[in-house]
Amino acid sequence: MIGVNLWRKLLAAGALLLLWEGAVALSSDAVLISSPSDIAGYLSENFALIARASVETSRNAFWGFLWGNAAAIVLSATMLVLPRSERFLLALALLVFCVPLIASGPILRVLYGPGTGPQVTLAALAVYYTTLLALLVGLRAVSQNWIDLMRVYGRGPLATLMRVRARASLPYLFVGLQISAPAAFLGAMIGEFTGAERGLGVLTLRAMRGLETDATWSLALLSAAIAMTGYGALGWLGRRAVGYAPEILLSAPRQDADQTWWRSLGQTLLIVACVVAVWQLTMDAFDLNRFFAKRPGDVWGFLIVAENRDTLVAALAQTLGSALPGYLAGLSLGAGLAALLILWPGLAQATLPFAVALRAIPIITTAPLLVLGFGRGLAGTTVVVAVMIFFPTLVACQQGLRQTPGQVADLFRSYGAGRFVFLCKAQIPAMLPAFFASARMAVPAALLAVTTVEWLATGKGVGVLMATTSSTSNYNMLWSCVAALAGVAAAAYALVAALERAILRVYASEQLT
Amino acid sequence: MISPDIICDAVTKSFGATQAVSEFSATLKAGHTTALVGPSGCGKSTILRMIAGLETPERGEVLVGDEAPDAVARRGALAMSFQDPSLLPWRSVSANIALGAELARKPADQVDHLIDLVGLSGFADHRPAALSGGMRQRAAIARSLISKPEVLLLDEPFGAVDAITRRRLNVDLPPLWRARGTTVVLVTHSVEEALLLSDRVIVLSSRPASVVADIAVDAPGPRDSAFLDTPAVQDHARALYSALEGR
Ligand SMILES: Nc1ncnc2c1ncn2[C@@H]1O[C@H](COP(=O)(O)OP(=O)(O)O)[C@@H](O)[C@H]1O
Ligand SMILES: [Mg+2]
Repeated sequence: MIGVNLWRKLLAAGALLLLWEGAVALSSDAVLISSPSDIAGYLSENFALIARASVETSRNAFWGFLWGNAAAIVLSATMLVLPRSERFLLALALLVFCVPLIASGPILRVLYGPGTGPQVTLAALAVYYTTLLALLVGLRAVSQNWIDLMRVYGRGPLATLMRVRARASLPYLFVGLQISAPAAFLGAMIGEFTGAERGLGVLTLRAMRGLETDATWSLALLSAAIAMTGYGALGWLGRRAVGYAPEILLSAPRQDADQTWWRSLGQTLLIVACVVAVWQLTMDAFDLNRFFAKRPGDVWGFLIVAENRDTLVAALAQTLGSALPGYLAGLSLGAGLAALLILWPGLAQATLPFAVALRAIPIITTAPLLVLGFGRGLAGTTVVVAVMIFFPTLVACQQGLRQTPGQVADLFRSYGAGRFVFLCKAQIPAMLPAFFASARMAVPAALLAVTTVEWLATGKGVGVLMATTSSTSNYNMLWSCVAALAGVAAAAYALVAALERAILRVYASEQLT
Repeated sequence: MISPDIICDAVTKSFGATQAVSEFSATLKAGHTTALVGPSGCGKSTILRMIAGLETPERGEVLVGDEAPDAVARRGALAMSFQDPSLLPWRSVSANIALGAELARKPADQVDHLIDLVGLSGFADHRPAALSGGMRQRAAIARSLISKPEVLLLDEPFGAVDAITRRRLNVDLPPLWRARGTTVVLVTHSVEEALLLSDRVIVLSSRPASVVADIAVDAPGPRDSAFLDTPAVQDHARALYSALEGR
């Protein structure tokens, strides 16, 4: 049976390739689309170069994967041992995660100098937050009864950690690791975009700038394939090690609903103060060159000059203006398709595995293709941002829709309610928390996508401002861009979170924990 | 093995504004089985959890022999079967049962015997997710028995077990802990079960729990289904029902 299945799949893949080849041959846009034979030709001609670049990028991604996940494990262990630190550490982790990688790239390049440091660091930055969230969900999935059981036998916290907590969070750790694999690859590539000597990112940048269609296609597909291989391998390993994969929504834990506004404000100020202090202190501790490594005071001095501020604000407005349509389109398409698919359960069952797999593709690696296809204007940017957000939202919303307990479905059925009524009255409210969780996580994703596209292709906005300032040595502007992006991302995240609380309070108050 | 008396001396416990147990006093004799019966939410589980050292009384004291409960726990001499079976989902039935011995640092030499005794033969290698609620509860009881504890605390141990199996376990299990001289405290909603298993039944009032009746079950004869039909036991049953209703 397996043999027959495999043959079928191979046949289908072959047919698809032929179709693609034929379509390209017939289309007039041959400048923009490469056929499978073009891609195969390019890959075989440049085999040695591409193989070396692939190894380089994979190695950087691998080290970043290790460092980032180790950091996530250490952070979650700290929160476990010192529960009072959890809220602060999570907010700090989120703030760091909110800085678009393409913005931290040039800064890291300045700090590290030449070498692989920035790539590895960016890969680590790309993975630690999702693994941290998955681990926290896992550590909370421990039932109080298991802890009581340990205590009845006189066993202390250490035995509980080893025998219960560690084991119970293992499946969640593997989910985190699996999502990390493509993310680490993405981080390494972005690191290479921002001024490395070797790697697939460097080749991609060169192909994009030289308008080499075949090279762009080949590199994008190869990058996606490597990232997906990592995703598949870790999924396999997880199933071998754990036996099952838990379904979890990677939602950041919500703040307490009874939090007063002045306490939130105080907390926010405290975190900002900490970040500024850490910024200043690391620069001083390592005695970094003031020419590259700007201190908070330098950025302040730079930004109080009206001319500089105006340039930055104009670029930011441009960037946010390009990000917003894609953000809204990605979210509404993801949620809308999830709702539509649930009306046809068979179809949903068939599409979920694809959506889960596609969610894992680092869309940024295919951004060059999308820009080729949709142009360097607003349409191209919107498509990249929307695609980046679409798949995670679709998967989260589908999982959320299925959270409606079976008894509730039976209750509605016993009243003869139709599928549509059930969807509106039971399933959509049940989906809202998942939807908002992905809306929050989509904020940094959208900013990453838009700044990367600007950096690579469109020549507008903060992305390009950073790209040019790092080559003109206007490091004050570079640091200001990064600080502004982090602030904007955190503010947008907080805005979505506030909207979420307001809406959930009305429509799904029982789900506010 | 010498089992200890359990002494509850005017223990009081509240959760926030809810007073769960107020001035509860009783001496539960070593080697005896004592049943606690009473309405839901009256504080039975809380009393059991204080004896296990899982909750600390606000006032009053619990002593097991001359030790504090957590000292007994550290010796591995205590075991408890919770209202919720709380098996570890990644362990098979037999590994879950063996866990009781592992945690108490005792040899796990009776796993197969206990699996047979609670009627789970053929399911030793199943994961808890593949079992019914009643089967999980039986595995949890086996887990609490395997460490041969001096003090055994059973919180509604047969609540989810079907009536026929429950009756069989009510007859088959007690000889095991009686032979070991274990001090047992049992929480149950069933008057018949209390009579069948115990040497003494304490009836509690609604929250906060205070003792409304304290009956010694000293009827002679083997404790099997016929035991419940003896006149002495039926007198006890009547007394228990009127205590429960007249609270
Ligand atoms: N951890 C807890 N937090 C708050 N209230 C509790 C807690 N445990 C028990 N209670 C309350 O104490 C009372 C007694 O509970 P419990 O001992 O579980 O009753 P029983 O086992 O007799 O049904 C109940 O009103 C219950 O709601
Ligand atoms: Mg109870």
